[in-house]
Amino acid sequence: MNTRIPRRRRGASLALIAIAGLTGAALTGCAPGSAAPTAQNDVEVSTELTSDPVQLTIADETGFPVTDKLTEEFTKQHPNVTFTINRDTFQNLTANAPKLLASSTPPDLIRLPTLGDTVRDGLVANLDPYFDAYGWDAWPASQLAPLRMTDEGVRGSGSLYQLGLGYSITGIYMNTTLADQLGIDAPPQTLAELEEDMAKAKAAGVLPIMAGDKDGVVNFVVQAAMNQYVDKDQFLSWMFNEPGARYDESGNVEGAELVRKWADAGYFPSDINAIDYFTFTSRFSAGEGLFTFNGNWEAANYQKALGSNVEFFLVPPAEAGADHVAMGAANSFSVAAKSPHLNEIVYFLNWVHTDPTARQIIVDVTGASPGGDPAQELPSVEAGSLIENALKMSAQIGAENGQVDFMANTTAGIYAGSIIPESQLLVTSQITGKEFVDRVQKFYESEVGE
Amino acid sequence: MTDRAVAVAAAPRPDDAPSATATAPVRRAAARAAARRATLAGWVLLLPALAFYIGFVVWPLFQGVQYSFYDWNGIGVARWVGVENYLTVFTDPDLLGAIRNAFILIAFFTFIPVGLGLVLATLIRGIRYKAFAATAQTVLFLPQIIPLAAAGIAWSWMYAQTGAVNQILGWVGLGWITRPWLADYGTALPAVGLIGSWVLTGLCTVLLLTGLGKIDVSLYEAIRLDGAGWWREFFTITLPGLRQEIAVLVTVTVIAALSSFDIIYTSTQGGPGRATLVPGLSIFRIGFTQSDVGLASAFGIVLMVLVLIVVLPIQRLSRASDS
Amino acid sequence: MIASRTERVLGILLLSVAAIVTLLPLISMFSAALQPADQNPTGLTWPTDPQWGNFATAFETGHVWQLMGSSLVIVLGVVPLSLVAATLAGFALGSLQVRFGRGILVFFVLGLTIPFEALIIPLYYQAQSMGTVNTPWAVIFPLIGLYMPFGVFWMRAHFINVPRELSEAARVDGASLWREFRSIQLPLAAPALSALAILLFIWTWNQFLLPVVLIADPLQRTVAGALTFFQGQYSLSIPLLNAGALIIITPAVLLFLVFQRQFIRALVQGAVKG
Repeated sequence: MNTRIPRRRRGASLALIAIAGLTGAALTGCAPGSAAPTAQNDVEVSTELTSDPVQLTIADETGFPVTDKLTEEFTKQHPNVTFTINRDTFQNLTANAPKLLASSTPPDLIRLPTLGDTVRDGLVANLDPYFDAYGWDAWPASQLAPLRMTDEGVRGSGSLYQLGLGYSITGIYMNTTLADQLGIDAPPQTLAELEEDMAKAKAAGVLPIMAGDKDGVVNFVVQAAMNQYVDKDQFLSWMFNEPGARYDESGNVEGAELVRKWADAGYFPSDINAIDYFTFTSRFSAGEGLFTFNGNWEAANYQKALGSNVEFFLVPPAEAGADHVAMGAANSFSVAAKSPHLNEIVYFLNWVHTDPTARQIIVDVTGASPGGDPAQELPSVEAGSLIENALKMSAQIGAENGQVDFMANTTAGIYAGSIIPESQLLVTSQITGKEFVDRVQKFYESEVGE
Repeated sequence: MTDRAVAVAAAPRPDDAPSATATAPVRRAAARAAARRATLAGWVLLLPALAFYIGFVVWPLFQGVQYSFYDWNGIGVARWVGVENYLTVFTDPDLLGAIRNAFILIAFFTFIPVGLGLVLATLIRGIRYKAFAATAQTVLFLPQIIPLAAAGIAWSWMYAQTGAVNQILGWVGLGWITRPWLADYGTALPAVGLIGSWVLTGLCTVLLLTGLGKIDVSLYEAIRLDGAGWWREFFTITLPGLRQEIAVLVTVTVIAALSSFDIIYTSTQGGPGRATLVPGLSIFRIGFTQSDVGLASAFGIVLMVLVLIVVLPIQRLSRASDS
Repeated sequence: MIASRTERVLGILLLSVAAIVTLLPLISMFSAALQPADQNPTGLTWPTDPQWGNFATAFETGHVWQLMGSSLVIVLGVVPLSLVAATLAGFALGSLQVRFGRGILVFFVLGLTIPFEALIIPLYYQAQSMGTVNTPWAVIFPLIGLYMPFGVFWMRAHFINVPRELSEAARVDGASLWREFRSIQLPLAAPALSALAILLFIWTWNQFLLPVVLIADPLQRTVAGALTFFQGQYSLSIPLLNAGALIIITPAVLLFLVFQRQFIRALVQGAVKG
């Protein structure tokens, strides 16, 4: 912090004149920024790994050790390839990503939850040539669709720019000890049943949903509710920034109103806006809360804390027997367009999806589906474990074609700039579901509509 | 202190400096030559400081002004938009809310520390035990040594539902008002403000203490003989004597309030909702997460102008009171 | 000021309360740091099983050693250069009293009102075009520039109060400006210089915003930036975070405690002038 200013003397007028002059000079200067997007390195596509020593850099977020394990294993199998992993917080990483990619020494691989403008500015490598070379058409198209982007900046189709180190699935974890106490013997099959169970819990003095919104995680609940009412493709086209797609459709409003109803009924913790991710997982692990909405990545921790007294299942649909819809996304990474090691880093990405040890690592460390060819054998999991549940859920969602991306990834700034603050108001009954949806739509328009 | 400033203003310039031995005309010529050399030397000496300052502060400032007139994402083509970004700053309710919050913080970053500082400085002054006074000074100054980011983290934890603040409230029988202070819409901003009070009170205390040291003790003796109590003494002697220091402190703390970032970034991130959103955090988010460089730059310039608007009158007031 | 008995007792009481309130957050951090790392700690308690190991874990997870190294690099780049530039300028404005000196001083001092946030974005692009982005220089150069207003003001305030007779005597003796500066002025300026050095050290050590924006590799930022290592998107250990924060605070606090007397005295004397 700076300190101290003395009294002003005259001569301030001199300064003002200088200021005016320089301002004029600055304004007449040329516009900032460059016109042409940076060109991708022209490299001949090869699916063979070089035997020369190679040093690859990965920019990843803190708290995700899976990249460490994967790169360790890869170096074991191919000793000539070593990795340096730079970690930063999710916030800093998303804020710095475009700058990192545009610098003269970009990381070869970078964790990128949202493509944003990186495709338009030519910062990320187009993986289509590798798609053909490696034969990735055997992989589920729906899994790769969110990782594509057209030249106009619309996701869902176009060239492939990302791959996932694991593909996650979200759902509901249920504390079965508490459930047994309340007379609930099976996971709810419809939203109505879920609400009944929550009402039972509330009446008995048990916290129905353990959730937190200090850093936005309650949006697992908000979106889960919306998922059951929206037209999935319509929702996806909004998330993919297709022109004309809107967030304030009736399904989204219904979902948000449902969450508001739950907030009014007191189903959330009273201090929900003070609870961050760590707190909300540790409190559920300590036995607080009948349900918690979270993803497969936490399965191992919950299992450790609650043993066999916890179940994991997909969010039930609104109507009995309908298909399930669940959020899931690739733990998406992109290759820098200017990377000098395109072949090597893509080889690594392919290896992650196809090598049995790599796939096992992904399942063991994150509980996510390893992606890749569905015909390939799935890694082994402990029977009856939450991770086994998670893989089954992934498979079910794949079969029912019910996967949607996280709405937080819709644009670069929408999560921190709009969804988190507005959801904080929603779950404490400060705004209605309609207001929530309208405000997020407005922010979306201001970010996308240039 | 006032007389020292006057003395500085009236200080003889090198031209007039008499030399003891030479005759008058030779003296003047020699003095003028020396003055020219001194001025030239002076400018050379000023060069490094000016170079760094202009190069890395003033020039970027003007570049910021330039960016503010464009719509630019930092990497691609920039589009001229004139004053549109500034209009957004003054019409977007979220951004205006951030400015409002920054001004509210002034109550906590300025009024409380300066007020408390006055009280504490007066108290320390009256203490006989020098060791106790010195220790108190050191302890009170500690928050200035700690990175603001760490202060944000320390206090976040204290304000938590199971943190120290609620615990202590429980001990003194006020358990019924416990709550997660940083998550409650009504208390989040004041809670953050109090972090600032904690950080700045020590600085104010120490500075005011020195100021107190310069006030003539005989003035106090005289007024005591008159039978005046603590109050009168404070308002007729202490406060006026501390005018300079108070002006400096108010300036410094107001700047800290309006440009706060570290504390909020590590404690509430602007939440809940936008209750603790401040311009510093908003600029960071708009500029780096949303990549809207033009709007962020415009907001930054607006912030700077606000600081000047608040600080310049304070300086003028303090100067006027000298004469 | 002459105080009555009651006033004195009251004074000691209030001061003690103030001191305790000041130290409370630190004590609370300490208490949290000693609790088990994988659980949410509870309030202010001395844990039954103090986890001193948390400090070791925090030290490693936070790469604190490496960060102290990079902080040191930045400090060594910033402080000496700033001291030199500020002293020379302060001498020019305070002792030599160059023409337009007051205008120049105002020019510098206006810089104190510029919030960092107004500058970080242009500073980023400037570092990029200079090729210094993601190196310590990206932070060092702007910091020196940002410290000039305060530094120049501070040193000038010192030089202004050096009696003219000293420099005159030196000139009469035939000493050049340089001789005078080196043998007379510099030794006199030592207290002001050392106080400034300590202040700049602390401010640089505690820098948060500039390194986060200008240096992409978190391991090359300052120590204050290390706190972010404990905040993964989905993993935040409060005990570790507090342990890490305590480790980070320690060097600056130790430095301050060692030099506190000189420091506060010089700080306060400097503020009094001008």
